[in-house]
Formats: sequence, C-alpha cells, structure tokens
Amino acid sequence: MLHLAHVTKHFGTTRAVDDVSLTIRAGEIVAIAGENGAGKTTLMRIAAGELAADAGTLQREGRAELVHQHFLLVNELTIAENIAFARHAGFRFTTRRMLEREAEETIAASGIDLRGVSRRVGELSVGERSKLELIKAISRKPSTLILDEPTSVLTPTETEDLFRVMRRLASENTAVVFISHKLPEVLAIAERIIVMRGGRVVLESAANVSAETLANAMVASAGQPGNRETGQPRNGEILAILGVTGNGQRELATNLLDEQPTAAHIPEDRTRDGIVAQMTIAENLALKANRWRPCEAAQHAQRTIARYSIRASGPQQLAGSLSGGNQQKVILARELERRPDTIVASEPTRGLDIEATRFVHEQLRSAANAGAKILLITSDLDEAFALADAVQVIYRGKLSERMTPEEARTRVASLMAGVA
Amino acid sequence: MTRALVAVLAAASAVILLALAGLLFGHSPIELLAILASGSIGSRFALEGTLLKSVPLLLTGLSVVIAFRAGVWNIGGEGQFLVGALAALLAARFGVLASLLAAMLAGAAWASIATAMRLWRNAPEVLTTILLNFTAIHLLGWCVNGPLRERAAQYPQTDLAAVALPAIGSIHAGVVLAIAMSVAAWWILYRTTEGLRLRATGFNPFAARWAGIRVNAQLARAMAMSGAVAGLAGGIELLGVTHRLFERFASGYGYSGIAVALLAQLHPLATIASAAFFGALVTGAGELQRTANISSAVATFGQAVVILVLIGFERVRASR
Repeated sequence: MLHLAHVTKHFGTTRAVDDVSLTIRAGEIVAIAGENGAGKTTLMRIAAGELAADAGTLQREGRAELVHQHFLLVNELTIAENIAFARHAGFRFTTRRMLEREAEETIAASGIDLRGVSRRVGELSVGERSKLELIKAISRKPSTLILDEPTSVLTPTETEDLFRVMRRLASENTAVVFISHKLPEVLAIAERIIVMRGGRVVLESAANVSAETLANAMVASAGQPGNRETGQPRNGEILAILGVTGNGQRELATNLLDEQPTAAHIPEDRTRDGIVAQMTIAENLALKANRWRPCEAAQHAQRTIARYSIRASGPQQLAGSLSGGNQQKVILARELERRPDTIVASEPTRGLDIEATRFVHEQLRSAANAGAKILLITSDLDEAFALADAVQVIYRGKLSERMTPEEARTRVASLMAGVA
Repeated sequence: MTRALVAVLAAASAVILLALAGLLFGHSPIELLAILASGSIGSRFALEGTLLKSVPLLLTGLSVVIAFRAGVWNIGGEGQFLVGALAALLAARFGVLASLLAAMLAGAAWASIATAMRLWRNAPEVLTTILLNFTAIHLLGWCVNGPLRERAAQYPQTDLAAVALPAIGSIHAGVVLAIAMSVAAWWILYRTTEGLRLRATGFNPFAARWAGIRVNAQLARAMAMSGAVAGLAGGIELLGVTHRLFERFASGYGYSGIAVALLAQLHPLATIASAAFFGALVTGAGELQRTANISSAVATFGQAVVILVLIGFERVRASR
C-alpha cells in the first residue's frame, strides 16, 4: 500500500507536482499516463523515497522500487556483478562463479529472459539493459514496483513478456505502477489509470475508459494521436532500419557517422550521447557551433526555445533538468538547424509523449522534404511506417533488401525475428 | 549561491576544528583563533605574508580547476611547479618575461608527458601525474646537488636567479599576474568556444564526441594549459620569493592546489578567495608554531578538513 496526500514539489520556479493525492493498493496494476514533463516521474520518485516533497505526506508499507527510464548500471561490471550489487550491500567473500550462479537464479526467478551473465553491461543493448534494471528491482522483492516508461525500448513481443511479468507480480500481491504515455499499452495492462498534466492529476478512472478520453486529458491542445501520415517518396528520403534493439544498429550508426562526420546525429541514449546535463540549454545548443559568444548564444537559445516550444524557464536552465522530450528537442534543434545533408536518427522518439513524438516526426519529415538523406534507426514499427519512404530490416548485424513500406508491412515481423 | 554557502561553511568548519584541536595541546580555542587571525591578517607584515603564500596557491589551484573542468585528474601540480621553476632559473638570464614564459612552457610540457601516456597506452592521469611529481622532485634534487649547485658549493642549492620580479611596495608583481591569470582562466572557460568545448568534454565526453568535439585534442590542450599555469606558479615563486632553488622548493604547493580548487568549487574567480583563505591559514599556522609551539603542519590538517567537509556536503546534496 502506498498513500500520497497533497504532495507538492517545486524545481526552481517550476511546479513539477502540484497537490497530488493518490493511493495504490497491493496487487493492483496502476498506469500513470501523461506527457513528458507532466510530473509523472517526479511524483513516483517521491513515492519511492528518492526525492523529498516540499509539502504533503507519504505513507508506504514495505519497499518501493523505481525502475528508471535512464539506466543506473555500472557499465564496467558484468550483469552478474550488477545484480549482486543490487542485492547485497554488506561485506562478504564470494567468487565469480558464485555470483554468476546467483545471478542466473535471480534472473530465472524474475521470469525475464536475459542470457550471458558474464557479459559487461557496457556491451549490452538498450533493451537488454532495461531488462537488467527490471530484474534488479524485482530481486529486491518490493511491495510496490514502479516502472518508468519501461516499454520504450522494447519490441512488441518483449512488451508482452513484460506485461506477463507485471501480471504475475500483481497476482503475488505486489502493487505495480506503470508510467507510460503509450495509450494502447496503458489500456491493455492497467486496472486503474491516472492521467497527469502540468503536475496535477486530471483524470482518475477504471480501465474501461476510451483512448480518446485519455488522449484528450493528456494533451491540452486536442491533437489526433495515432493518425500519422504514411511517408511518400520525395526529393529527400527517409530510410527506416527496423530491428529488435541489439542487432547491430549501434554499429551501423557509428560506422556511418565515422564516414560522415558532418552528419547530424540524434543518438539513441540521449542523456549519455546527446546532452551535457550539467550545462545550460544555450550551451548545449551551441556545442556544434564554430564560434560561441555567450550573449548571442543566449538570444539564439531564446528563439529556439520558442520555435521548438521547449518547456524551460529560459536559456540558462540546465539541460539535465529538462524532461526527456524537451531534451530531445534541444538535440534536434542543435542537429537540424545547420541544415545537414545527412541525418542519422536512432530511436528518436524513445520515451517521448504523443506531442513530442509528433514534433520529432514533423522535423524529420521537413528535413527530408528539404532534401536531406535520413537514416531512421528504430524498433518502433509505427514510427517506421509513419515516416519511411523505404524500409530495411536489420537482424544480427545483417540488413535485408530495401522494401517499400507496403512490401515491408507483410514481411517485417518474420524478418525481425530472423525466420525469413 | 548554495555552492558559495557550502564553501564558506567548509572553510569555517576547518578553522573551528583547528581551534578545537588546540585543546589537545592545552590551549584555549579562542586564544588560538586570535593567534591565527593576528598571524595572518592582523598586521601589515602578516597580510603581506598571507599574500605571498596565496600567489602560488592561487596558480596551482587554477591549474587544477582547468584540468578538472576538462575531466582530467591532474594531480601533478607539484611536479609542474618544480620544472616550471627550474626552467625559469635557466632562462632567467634572458629576462623576466622569457623566464616566466619558459616556466609555463616547461610546466605544459611536463603535464603533456602524462597526456602522451594517456593517448599511447591509456595510462590514467591520476597515476602518471603523481609519478611525474616524484620524477620532478628527483630531477630538482639532482640539479641542486650536481650541475646547478651554487658556485660556493656549500649547500645543495643554486645560485641566485639572474633576474627578479619587480616589486610593488614590498610585494612582488606576481600577485597581479596571478589575479590576471584567474580572470583569464575565467574568460577562457566561460566566454570562449574553447572553454565551452573544454567544459563539455569534462562533463560528458560521449556527448562531446558526438557533437563533433575532438575529445583527445581537447584533453591535451586542457592538460597543457593546466601544466602551464602550475609551471608559472613555480617561476613566480622563484623570481619573486626564494630567488634560488633548493630541494624542498615546492613544499606541497602543487598538492594544496587541489584543496584550493575544490574549496573554490572549481570556479576560477572563486579560486582567488579560496587561495587567500588557504594562504592565511598557512601563514597563521606559522604564527601558531612560533607563539604557541604548535606544529605548522596544522595547516595541512585544515586543508584535509575542508576537503572532507566539502565531500560531506556533496553527499548530502546528492541524496536530496
């Protein structure tokens, strides 16, 4: 049981969470939906005890574990060692073999498929890292498990597996909280749905609500989620590389970027490869500039913030304190404003909400229209079909032939699974 | 603002703990504080002493700030300081400017040895710079006992340097130079493209690389700048204070620079205040030794307390 009453949290002048009260009971699956920056993560960090609220009370029975959208893993250590870290704080004697056996048992008990416990985390794909985070959290036997955008790096099959794990945990009386903005998933898994916007709970309902109602509650400016135009071949082309995370996409992107250092790059791991969290928005925007003058950069950033509708207090806000979607906008603005002739975008909408996703797609589309060559590396089928002029599937480092999106629709599933 | 507060608290706790430690020696804390204050800022003479000690601390502190901002652990300030002084002595006969320039070049070159080892064999700077300190100490020892030994051949020390820094009153001009250097460091770090890229590299080398910054070249330049400033500190100390070299010439200025930089929260302008504080601490500790017979090593104790308190605050802040 987890009970929050009148919780409020400020970051500077921004009110991230505004007088929120909610109860999460043992054994139920609750979804918290909302746009990036709606306060979902902040609220749940407070619930997990990671952040102190400015006002309000928190009552909690047992442990709450929050699985972050960004990974908290030691890249230099192996899977087994990372799991051991999570489970044993104290001093003890052990051997590599023992750690690995324990890790394998832990993984088996969690019901999640992850092999090769002696691999270093730095070598794992993003999908595998997210699995490892989940295993770590489950191994600590929390009474409340909070998952922050867990499906953003998973394939549809992996998402199904995750849902199975969530249902099993709930049946064992764990409260499961699922933070997401993917409405079909929210509707598929949750027993109760809480929608946040601007730091407040704007809707609380049972799972029999319609996707439209949820979308309207999430997005103040009523948009049309899911209604994406299929790409038409024009001057510039968007080529989608579809594949399950960890099939050589990173190597593909790295090779291409090494060959073309002037290409724009929207990295898969934006907090690691895209943003310098400790520097301001203005400074992040200027990283690729040939010449930097603080005053000009600030004015330029002010204009960019307005044009990209980045939710920030101003050009001097630290990029690390922005929500994921707004960080992505900063990266996008930096990479696209120099009108690059080649753009490599890796999972450009990972973890973003409907509006931010639409924005990213529009930007890529208009860059293509202006003649840019775009390589879109994605594991999101909807994204590929919404944007691509041509599709290739990557499986174990090998690319399939080029297909038109129509052709791809029928063949993509078997190609991605490597059975074609 | 809170960072400044943390620094002030750390400095204050160091002084208070120092005074309390006096109880162990049978002195009242109040009395010790009074001696510390009068010995460091209580008179014109004391103030001058503080100022003189602050100059090398300010420069070695800046050296650490520049390297740390780029994400490099240059703890080789001591060695860079020594080779700087050595080069300054050798170049002294070409004039003050040439001498100081030589000091900077030598410091930069010495630091760049560590960079080269990083680039060729991926050797961590934490190890290589500290090992280069010992190398420099022995190089100096050999010089003052061998080729550079004074003509009288009486002590293991060199003859007086051919030139000296001009004086402003009873203080050498190095004070002005050191303050100018910290303004210059601030300007480079926060007002130039070079500084932007240097800081980005320090905070997140991955993002820096993807943003097109040549990370290795950036690190090499940062390390060279850092070494140059530490070398300059050695040159100024030689031409302004000691005028000759001897074995214990550096006496820990390079290492103290780390404490100075951390107390300044790695900000080049705050380093001025931080260096003045430690300069006062060292000078005041000298007075403690003379009047209260407490070893002046308590100044080192003060530095340690400052660092520990800073680390403590950092943990508190991280967990909030």
